[in-house]
Amino acid sequence: MSDQHEELHQPAAMVDEVSEFEVLELAVRELCIEKGLFSADDHRRWTEYMHTLGPAPAAHLVAKAWLDPEFKKTAVTDGVKASLDVGIDWVNSMPTNFGTPSDYCNLRVLEDTPTLKHVVVCTLCSCYPRPILGQSPEWYRTPNYRRRIVRWPRQVLAEFGLQLSADIEVRVEDSNQKSRFIVMPVRPEGTEGWTEDQLAEIVTRDCLIGVAVPQVGKTENDKRPVRPAVNPYKH
Amino acid sequence: MSDYSELDKEMLSRNLDAAQIETLEKVKQEGRVWDDLSEEYGVDNPDPPWRIDLESTCDALADGYWNTSNVCKPETERTPENEANLDALERRWEEDQLVSERYADVPFPERQLLALAHSMIRRGLISEEDLAEKMKLVDKRLNMID
Repeated sequence: MSDQHEELHQPAAMVDEVSEFEVLELAVRELCIEKGLFSADDHRRWTEYMHTLGPAPAAHLVAKAWLDPEFKKTAVTDGVKASLDVGIDWVNSMPTNFGTPSDYCNLRVLEDTPTLKHVVVCTLCSCYPRPILGQSPEWYRTPNYRRRIVRWPRQVLAEFGLQLSADIEVRVEDSNQKSRFIVMPVRPEGTEGWTEDQLAEIVTRDCLIGVAVPQVGKTENDKRPVRPAVNPYKH
Repeated sequence: MSDYSELDKEMLSRNLDAAQIETLEKVKQEGRVWDDLSEEYGVDNPDPPWRIDLESTCDALADGYWNTSNVCKPETERTPENEANLDALERRWEEDQLVSERYADVPFPERQLLALAHSMIRRGLISEEDLAEKMKLVDKRLNMID
């Protein structure tokens, strides 16, 4: 066997110990099932569904809309219908087969323009368009982001590295139990002739939340420091 | 509930007890968080393998909110099938408060897990004694080598 062959067949690194947190998670789950708070089958259906989720469908929805003006019209007027074209059925999806769980069944696609920038938050908790965007990032859940983005959107966006000139209007959309949002950013220059797959690669999760804009060559989200809020809840 | 101030007022009136719970405090003090484990073992995955299970537990606990008979009704008309459900909004409010008061120095999603267990104990959905006993059994099972 050649060295190269052996290298290709190295097992992936794995954590070879059980943490107290892993034990706690399983213990809480098993107690819930034993006490009838939910069934093992409920949990299994949820978990299987969750494992199917990620940001790729939302990125493709935006890329498709950039390429097809008719699809773009559908996307901004009926996000649920447009989602079907990227494989997401908000109304008949798992695990209920009748409306996605707490994510409800109303997706709105917010179209940015050169003079208008949208950004999404959930001030109440951490509502997020999971069926089409996957799990929310940690910073999105923090009281710090949730309280400050509605008060000082330009300053908070600047902390994310997004400096907006004064002539660009900023709109903050607040998610709730009935409506979820994704942002359709402006297609960047330098992407002429690109395919849908190429375009989708630069539409990162952060672009879809609205705290970043797509850039040629940038396909990853930046790591964000998570800061505790000052006066976090009693105000 | 339509806005944060309304939710805040209601939840503050319930006086959630954020005081130390010994079993959880032990996990907080002695448990190894994913950030450390993944670095030590050279694992790239940013989330621990149990994160999706935890999210699923939270969603399953919200029960009636995703039941077919409730999901597209206005909030005021929904009826949880299981009286013991843990409302998602209330759980998130309590998570914010508990993280702020007790688990601020624990990273995510470990802090979400501690806050969930804390909320459930305070609400009487599970007892600390049951949890401690179950953790012993789970620990023994997961570490069994023959």
